[in-house]
Amino acid sequence: MKKIINTFFLVSVLLLGSCTEEYLNPSSASQTQVVSDVTGLITLANGLSFKYSITRVSPNYTLPTTSGLLTRELVVLNAGNTDEQNLFQGGASVIGNNGVITNLWNQSNLTKSNADLILKNLSIVTDQGTKGALQAHASIFKALALGNLAMFWQQAPIVTASSAPFVDRIAVLNEAISILEAARTELAKAPISAAFSSRIVAGIDYANTINALIARYALMAGNNDKALEAANLVSLATSVKSEFRHDDLTRNALFESSFGNKNVSEPFDRLFSLPLALQTPTTDGRIGFFYSAGGTLNLGRASFFTSNSSVLPVYRPGEVTLIKAEVFARKNDLTNATAELNKILQKVASGDAYLIGANLPAYAGANTQEAILTEIYKQRCIELYLTGMRLEDSRRFNRPSSERTRNFLPYPFSERDNNPNTPADPAN
Amino acid sequence: MRNNYLSSKLFWRGFQGSGEGTKFIRFLSIWLLSCSMCVSLYAQEISVSGKVTDAKDGSPLPGVSVTIKNGNKGTITDADGNYKISALSTDYVVASFIGYQTVEESVGQRSIIDFSLSDAITSLDEVVVTGSTIKTAKRELGNNITSVNSDAIERSGSNNLFGALQGKLPGAQITQNSGDPAGGITVRLRGVKSLSGPSDPLYVIDGVIVSNSTVNVSQTALGNQVGESAVGNNRLVDINPADIESLNVINGAAAAAQYGSRASNGVVLITTKKGKAGAPKITFSTSVTVNELRKKVPISTYGKQFGFAALRLHPIGGLTNAQLPTYVRQPGETFTAVTRDGVVTNLRTNQVDVTRYDYQDQIFQKGYGTDNNLSINGGNDKTQYFTSLSYSRNEGIIRGTDFTRYNLRARIEQRLADWAKMSVGLSYANSFGNEKANGNVFYSPINSVNITNNIYDINLRDGAGKLLAVEPTRVNPLSTIEDMNFTQSINRTINDLQLNLTPLKGLGIDWIVGVDAFTQNGRGIIKPYPYQAIAGLPAERYPTGYASNASNSVLQFNTDLNISYENQLTKDLKLNAIIGGSYQYQRTEFQRASGEGLAPFIETVSGAGSAVTAGYGLPQFSLSGYFAQTTLGYKNLAFLTGAVRRDQSSIFSEAERTQTYPKVSGSLILSDLEFWQSAVPSKIVSSLKLRGSWGQAGNLVGLDPFSRFWQFQPTPYLGRNTIVPSSQLANPNVRPERMSEFEFGTDIALWENKINLGATFYNQNISDLIVSRGTASSEGGLSIVNNVGTMENKGFEISLNLVPVKTKDLTWDVTFIYNQNRNKVTKLGSPTISISNSAGAPVFLIEGAPASVFYGTTIARDANGNPLLTSQGFLQSERGTQNSATPLTYSPVRDATTGQPVIAGTSSVRTIIGDPNPDWTGSFMSNVAYKNFNFNFLVDFVQGVSVFNADKRTRENVGIGPISEQELKGEIVRGYIFAIGPIEEWRVDNGAFAKLREIGLSYNIKSPIKGINNVNIGLSGRNLISWDSYNGYDPETNAGGNSDRVRGVDFGNVPIPRTYKAQITLSF
Repeated sequence: MKKIINTFFLVSVLLLGSCTEEYLNPSSASQTQVVSDVTGLITLANGLSFKYSITRVSPNYTLPTTSGLLTRELVVLNAGNTDEQNLFQGGASVIGNNGVITNLWNQSNLTKSNADLILKNLSIVTDQGTKGALQAHASIFKALALGNLAMFWQQAPIVTASSAPFVDRIAVLNEAISILEAARTELAKAPISAAFSSRIVAGIDYANTINALIARYALMAGNNDKALEAANLVSLATSVKSEFRHDDLTRNALFESSFGNKNVSEPFDRLFSLPLALQTPTTDGRIGFFYSAGGTLNLGRASFFTSNSSVLPVYRPGEVTLIKAEVFARKNDLTNATAELNKILQKVASGDAYLIGANLPAYAGANTQEAILTEIYKQRCIELYLTGMRLEDSRRFNRPSSERTRNFLPYPFSERDNNPNTPADPAN
Repeated sequence: MRNNYLSSKLFWRGFQGSGEGTKFIRFLSIWLLSCSMCVSLYAQEISVSGKVTDAKDGSPLPGVSVTIKNGNKGTITDADGNYKISALSTDYVVASFIGYQTVEESVGQRSIIDFSLSDAITSLDEVVVTGSTIKTAKRELGNNITSVNSDAIERSGSNNLFGALQGKLPGAQITQNSGDPAGGITVRLRGVKSLSGPSDPLYVIDGVIVSNSTVNVSQTALGNQVGESAVGNNRLVDINPADIESLNVINGAAAAAQYGSRASNGVVLITTKKGKAGAPKITFSTSVTVNELRKKVPISTYGKQFGFAALRLHPIGGLTNAQLPTYVRQPGETFTAVTRDGVVTNLRTNQVDVTRYDYQDQIFQKGYGTDNNLSINGGNDKTQYFTSLSYSRNEGIIRGTDFTRYNLRARIEQRLADWAKMSVGLSYANSFGNEKANGNVFYSPINSVNITNNIYDINLRDGAGKLLAVEPTRVNPLSTIEDMNFTQSINRTINDLQLNLTPLKGLGIDWIVGVDAFTQNGRGIIKPYPYQAIAGLPAERYPTGYASNASNSVLQFNTDLNISYENQLTKDLKLNAIIGGSYQYQRTEFQRASGEGLAPFIETVSGAGSAVTAGYGLPQFSLSGYFAQTTLGYKNLAFLTGAVRRDQSSIFSEAERTQTYPKVSGSLILSDLEFWQSAVPSKIVSSLKLRGSWGQAGNLVGLDPFSRFWQFQPTPYLGRNTIVPSSQLANPNVRPERMSEFEFGTDIALWENKINLGATFYNQNISDLIVSRGTASSEGGLSIVNNVGTMENKGFEISLNLVPVKTKDLTWDVTFIYNQNRNKVTKLGSPTISISNSAGAPVFLIEGAPASVFYGTTIARDANGNPLLTSQGFLQSERGTQNSATPLTYSPVRDATTGQPVIAGTSSVRTIIGDPNPDWTGSFMSNVAYKNFNFNFLVDFVQGVSVFNADKRTRENVGIGPISEQELKGEIVRGYIFAIGPIEEWRVDNGAFAKLREIGLSYNIKSPIKGINNVNIGLSGRNLISWDSYNGYDPETNAGGNSDRVRGVDFGNVPIPRTYKAQITLSF
């Protein structure tokens, strides 16, 4: 009997001291593990591309969708898609609980903070060929994220913090530019290492993308000289491509969620949603490029949105040319502006890395700054169709407010409810 | 006495001190030793024997426990009710039997002591199970405890244990979420308790903590489409209700010190059938059931449509003013301009002829089932055994769905010595289910009917016999039946080993080891649609086909050691003390693989040509704890219990994992007080008990084991290693939730137990509520788990049992149960938290509102509450200004001249438009036994509750509902559906119902022929009638499945069938 009782006491003692285990998830890693290891940083770099480009919450869906619906590039096919429908109606219908704009805001902010995980831990990388490429990769995504915030909101935070302060959108753009410039310097120090290129998801041309993005955001920030200088550094050879790649699993987001079927949205018309005065001739080669035959097919099931695996350019070469044209035009250098503009108008498909070719006659409109700028706006609307820049362009070119249903977006409730520094919403 | 006092003090100090187990045990040993020393050991032992009979009819009672009071000896009666035990002349012999009053007799000089035990259904002396090995007389309990016996379970006609309990538990809301043959059923005791973890009670079967988890292994195709819903079976579906002897439910946190760490949601203690000494007794029952759809929803077959036949969503499909000028019209197309929220849309007004079909006829069927049980039990005074075997199979009302279950069980009890007993329980369950897609997706049978314009003859096939396309992007409803299948098979074993020792007088030691281990294997297939080229299905419907397999292996292990000591300290004062320790470990291994682009003829992931992915998860945790509880009883009429429990959970970080939970409770049998007995005749008031308790409990498993870490998660991406930081940030400081509950109540028996009333009031406060709080994404994440919330549940539960007639031939009893619970989130950390779900239901947690309310846009109304129509006569949404920090208030903005809501500069405002938490639930049940006939029924009530009816709007928008038919017929204004559609309030329906849950008639024949002791023939029905005003199949439903956060949402759910059953039971 004693034996049994003693056994019980023994068991109970064992029981009472036994809860000291720490169970970890073998299917996930910790921050410390990932950022202390060069390969870990490269996996995070791929994570940035993934976060930015895959699924309906990613900017590659929300960016063209938000801009497209606010500027009537797109029309909602099924009003049951409430968030999209509200964006299409615009104005007061867009409030801070809108899922599409909330995703655009959130995923841009997360891309920004995740990029910082790489940028703040580059000191562990000893090989310059890896370090420069990592910095370039992370900086490009951070800049894209900041750019998205600045294109749609008047103010945005540039640091990751609790109750992060907001800065004006021009400061946000300048932050993107300075990050890219730092990366450009670092990238130029050594050729990209094999250790990096064998582990990174291929597709992005770092040097050209950095310059193209500096040009883009400098133009938006009104820094025309910097925009021109950077644009001139971008190679426009048809062999240069910088793109997001996809497959049947990690799908082209706009195709997957929208253009693969006829249930969410599709292009508003076959005329790039331009007002009567700005319509392009029916011979414009880009109509056939950007629009499908329609019917049972989504009208947008073409160009960069034909299948799960369609590639999506990070920037289109035509944008660089149009940036140059716009800078010249704004500097009232109409000759050079027209020359750059004609490169777009007269471009044949084979002259473009992605086969975008208007194949139209040279510019024959009035040789005034205003007329040329309007033509540049029109060409941006066509050449950069569905890149998400239409709203920004419409504001920058002072287009009539009837051509867009909002100027800026309200701040998402998720930010307002949890960050006391969130500014008041714009009236429209 | 002095010794006791001192050592008790030491004991408490030791407990509260360092918390080290060894130290505590040392104090305990001293204490127990000193207690036992006060016991005198003088009188002489004699042998006592006797017979125990049922007071009702004088029949012998086998299996009655006969023990020496405060002693270490015990035996049980044999088949003829006889027992034999050795005792001292100063001893008391106690006869106790679950469900009967305990009787004790002083030995004195007697050598024969007979007992006559009477029914104790509500009597205070009924012994109930309050912990894995702990039994307590009801009079000593300071909290409410409800018992349900096997008769009540059998009469329900349900082969699901939870289904059998519906309407029978005060304080419980038991909801069947789906009418699938193994559809999930949720039990909530006194409301929702947690916003991050489950609110499911803890289930203990014969001392084994068993899993009631819901893990989807069959329909991984749902992917991330279901949000926070938890769809599928809950695992207690593996239990055979026929194996259950009794079930005790402890609603409150104050209840069980034994389960402190996990008791915050209440505890359900299930005791399976045991063998009774005597010749083998064989019972066999078999039944057939028929399941059928109780009610179809109205689907319009009116042969008209607006615009043209190919126009999708004809009630709402329109053109903007910008589109109209360039629009190329179909012949005869005419338009009317409807202004909604200041925006003009042009809707078609012309009509064309179409042929409409009711697709419901193609997806529903009459399902048949059978339920068979065989049990054999018997034994002698040393060994008793119970074995059972069962087979049940049930077809669902959706074509191609069924559920088959086999159960095997054995329970053996062996007396090792007169002071030691061992028992072992072994059980095995095997089940298999054929399922169709869950309601939350548009390729489910019911949703495909709701979302498809019904102008296509779905029976048409091409030359090769393949189905044809219906409306673009929609799935042919017959595809969901013929070309999709999801299966799940389960192997489960639940085993326990128990040792019950009484080595010294007054001292009891109980040890339990329990294991619940199961594996779920699931498989799913969606064959490539033959009509994809025409239909253009979106990716979420898997146009190229989908196949998956997944398995979930769970191991739950628990061991409990309880040491109890009982001593009559003085003539009036009795001490009962228990200390115990427990250890629990749970491991879940989940693996899945899936792919798309299926090769023809291949039905598994082996044939997937693209998007092949795999995953593996290994959540595990351990819990350990110990407790001490002391009860002091005064004159057997006043009892005071105090307890404290200390627990550790590996789910929380080192610093937060150890928690202490105290409790106190007391009871007073007022009717046993002398002054009462002299003042009130016992004929009028048989007994009156007052009880009260206060206690704390934790939710130590109320969090995913890895939630406190910032997890960096891998994802397949173009063949390169990719890791994405989770959007949920780390919080190492998250603590377990803590519930404090106060309850008090009374149990009154009047007129010789003809009227029994039990009433309990409670007040629960849950502090440190874990909320997955949304964060500003500028913080670097989207959410963080944090102890920012508090929540309360206040309410009362009343049960009233009447026995108007009780004669030799006729017994009639009636029971009413009424429960009321008021849940409120008192603090949340954020003004609102949205709960994601696929139905588009605006489910929110809001500070100051009950959990999971529907919070959405509302219809504009004037000062008198009448709808404010637009100048065109349409309903419109309320507009105004609303501060997101104070979500429950808004200011409507009206135009000063027209009185209309102002569009410019305002937005649609939101308010609480529905609440899935009912105002009250209750039941009314009755049983009439006349000679050999028995008749019973149960009506179940859920009142004052809302359902978010996503399906109603779907059907109307698509143009197949009754309102769209009215619009076509011109009975209501054209554009009515278009105008009201976006207003979320319109989608909230009254979900109140009263259901004829059970009705049954049985006839019993005693010894019809030699060799058969008894034959029972029964007819029963379940869910035959529902009294409700709901605009769908059934308001008792939930697309959120077993989720505690998504509730009261109807989105393509399978309705609960009406079931008829015929059964025959033979006893040999």
